[in-house]
Amino acid sequence: MWTRKAAFTFTGGIALVLIGMMISNQQMMILGLSLVAFIVVNSWISGHGDVEVQRTLSADNLYKGDDLYVELLVTNRSNRKTQMLDIYDNIPHEMKLRSGLNQMQLNLKPGESARIRYVLRCPLRGHYSIGPVSLRARNTFNLGVEDMYVDHHSDIVIFPQIKDIEEAFLRSRTPKMYTGATTLRTPGQGSEFYSLREYVPGDPFKNINWKAFARTGELMVNEKCRDAVTDLYLILDSRDLARIGTVLKNPLEMGTVSAASLAAFFLKRRDSVALAIYDEKLSYLPPDTGDKQYFKILSALAGVTPKGTMPLQAVTNSLSGRFSRGSPVFVISSCEGDGTVPAAVRDLVGRGHEVTVLSPSSVDFERLVSRIPRMSYEVLKLERQNRLTTLAGSGAQVIDWMPDMDLSQALMQVRGY
Amino acid sequence: MSMVGLPANFNARRIALQASFWLVMLILLMTILLNFINLSATNQLSAYDDDWNDMSAFRQDIKDMGIQTNSLVSSPLLLGDIEDPRNTTYILAGVERDTLTLPQFDEDGFITIASDSGYSPSEINAIVEFVEAGGTALVLEDYGYGSSVAEAFGVSYMGDQVYDTNYVAELDFNYIWMCIQENPCGMNGTEIDPSTLSSHERWANVGEQGEHPCSLLDGESMTEAEAGLCTQHWNSGVIEYNGTYQMLLNNVTGLEKIPGVRGPLSEVAVRAMTSNGATVDVNGDGEIQFGSEITPATPDRWGQFNLTIEACARTSCDPSDGGRIVFMADGSALINAMYDYEGFNEGKYGETATLMPANDNRKWAMDFIAEALMSQLEGEEGEPAENAMVIFDESRHPQSALAADSYNTVYFLLVYFTGEGLAMLLLFLILFVTFEAVLIKKRDPEPWRHVFSIIYYGFGDANRYAYYSKVEKIRQVFLSKVRNQNGLNREEFQGMQANELVSMINDPVLAKFAVESNNRYTLEQTVALVKRIKAWGRQ
Repeated sequence: MWTRKAAFTFTGGIALVLIGMMISNQQMMILGLSLVAFIVVNSWISGHGDVEVQRTLSADNLYKGDDLYVELLVTNRSNRKTQMLDIYDNIPHEMKLRSGLNQMQLNLKPGESARIRYVLRCPLRGHYSIGPVSLRARNTFNLGVEDMYVDHHSDIVIFPQIKDIEEAFLRSRTPKMYTGATTLRTPGQGSEFYSLREYVPGDPFKNINWKAFARTGELMVNEKCRDAVTDLYLILDSRDLARIGTVLKNPLEMGTVSAASLAAFFLKRRDSVALAIYDEKLSYLPPDTGDKQYFKILSALAGVTPKGTMPLQAVTNSLSGRFSRGSPVFVISSCEGDGTVPAAVRDLVGRGHEVTVLSPSSVDFERLVSRIPRMSYEVLKLERQNRLTTLAGSGAQVIDWMPDMDLSQALMQVRGY
Repeated sequence: MSMVGLPANFNARRIALQASFWLVMLILLMTILLNFINLSATNQLSAYDDDWNDMSAFRQDIKDMGIQTNSLVSSPLLLGDIEDPRNTTYILAGVERDTLTLPQFDEDGFITIASDSGYSPSEINAIVEFVEAGGTALVLEDYGYGSSVAEAFGVSYMGDQVYDTNYVAELDFNYIWMCIQENPCGMNGTEIDPSTLSSHERWANVGEQGEHPCSLLDGESMTEAEAGLCTQHWNSGVIEYNGTYQMLLNNVTGLEKIPGVRGPLSEVAVRAMTSNGATVDVNGDGEIQFGSEITPATPDRWGQFNLTIEACARTSCDPSDGGRIVFMADGSALINAMYDYEGFNEGKYGETATLMPANDNRKWAMDFIAEALMSQLEGEEGEPAENAMVIFDESRHPQSALAADSYNTVYFLLVYFTGEGLAMLLLFLILFVTFEAVLIKKRDPEPWRHVFSIIYYGFGDANRYAYYSKVEKIRQVFLSKVRNQNGLNREEFQGMQANELVSMINDPVLAKFAVESNNRYTLEQTVALVKRIKAWGRQ
């Protein structure tokens, strides 16, 4: 593609030729032809984008707010010089360039390589893709440019932030709730000692009690008590209303942070954690333990976007049959725009679940982006307070989570309303 | 993973659409151009082709004299750019097609669209100006579009075939003899009667007005090479000048001076004519029916008709005194078959069963060139002038090759747009618009820049704020608070008596607000109520 300069030069050349013909001025015609010839000859001397690109990321998964180190290796595989070649690594607009530059102008000799290094700050959770790499070859005198791209992508998942939760904050009116794994007096997989028994082929060597062997002369193995775990259910509201506020501060963002933090806390204690996300449909991750479940939960939370208007009662109606008896349930919702919340909570409590409603205050999030009249704000707050009081009256623990409040602080204020 | 670069704008659908667009454009362009390009026409009368009906022998003779020859394939508008018209001869042999119909200024300054006239007003004007500037022109035409040029000089082509009793018996009546002399020659049987041959005053009288430059060398001994432009009179080492010409013509028409029209050249004279017994087939039926009057039964004409007319700036017709133009009523007078009859008869231009009789066409043509282009400098007699040039107008001959015709058409348009006043104005306008378009539309590719953008937008629902400041809504919120505070369900709360509610509220102001249906509160009152509701229940 010609640049503006080339278009002007060419048009000017043609104009000079024609005007020279009109007024029979050979010098003018020669000047015009020279300009046209200059453009034509210049177009023969062009660069190319025959380069190989390799991108290296410091990590495939990151937590929100972390830095990502990117290195782009560009190698000229052609036998010609690239001439002026602009390289630009396309990065999502949600990522902030912290240091370095994601573009460079290169003139690579055949076989020569260059590295572009830059650091990205990732302030938003989600699934992202870095790339493709855009190339812009310019010819001599910048009279022509050709845009190309290298279809090279690197995918990255930004998980929600994990906040530290102290155990004390999660203690509730039920003393044995949230205590993690408890031992049962039966042999099985666990951590606490149960008894000694004779070695049978197939027992792992690490379980052999060498002292007992030395003492008795017979191979003995340690048996452990079976751990019993608590199943914890997290229900996250991802309806369209959850977007109220700014992109960085809204009920959904806070909800994902709290869900991730609670999951991390309980999985660390070897409890089983399940996650249900409802927006326009219900996504359910059955309870499980371990790092794999942790990764699944974080990945699910990374991809959550606000949409839909599914009521909570539809969720509880669908899932309550699958919930373990008496297991704790966390409902993370602003409780805004859903008249079924009290009934759903009452239903869960009635089934014997310890229900905790963690409710980001959507009115206060809205206040971050809208100028709510004072009186309307007070009435909205009163109405929200009524709603939370109703939920507390149903037997749930209710947490009114303000935008500027840390998760630990919010969990501390569990109260009975 | 590594990949190699692909064009960023590679889009098969887009490319296919563009190809279709340009294909349609090409078809449209070809449709237009084909109106002006005659693919089926055979080319003839071209100085650059060597068929029997072309004029390559004439051009070769000119070149052999050391005179530069050029073709004019676009438009006679270029004649205006000739630097030395005095030493330039413009030869127009057969105008076989019309000009492109394009708008232009006429001589009165009005916009006109030329049509069916062979040449546009601007082109005719360019020919006239060329002749006025001292140039020499020869127009060989019969039934084509060349009449417009003649009319500019006060002459017209009749356009109907002339039959003369001086025809060539061994060929047919289409071939006639034209003698360049004041009185027409006559026949003796099937041959020209030598006693009727004479010379014309223009080129015959040595030392008088209109003498031919070769006549000055008459009787001088010289080699053939030294004879130069007078070689046609050289014989055995001596110049033997002879001013009689017995020219062979084919399918001729007649020429007439237009009464009352005064062209740019004042001296218009007849140089050759038919015998007294010539006829014109006016209705073109191939039969001659004439009488004392022209009637439907006798539509044809009888008498003496002009075959050659010369227009000069001065009576002397000396090229140094101004330009001149010669009109001959046969477009084929100088074709190879007649001009180089010896070569034709020998089969040089292809096998033929017809033998052309000896004629003076070459001699006349060479004398015409010699008079126009011989050097005027002393000691250079017989040699061509320094800038001597002959231009053959090929712009109105259909070309055998499509590319050649297209090239001529494009070249014509180029000359039109750079030579015609109206077109130049239009071209200036186009150039101006093009520059503007480039200035406005042509953009360099945007520089790449990463923009971090997540924090400058948010979502809220401002429509509900007004609803939440209404008294009914405030009352509803308050009653909900009372119900919740007292652990009542909806049915229980609905079933309460008013006095029970009042005592439950235990605040006269709020009790009155809850029970009354009055919604008329001032803003200050509403604010006070909300504050009171907020504080209610804390104690």
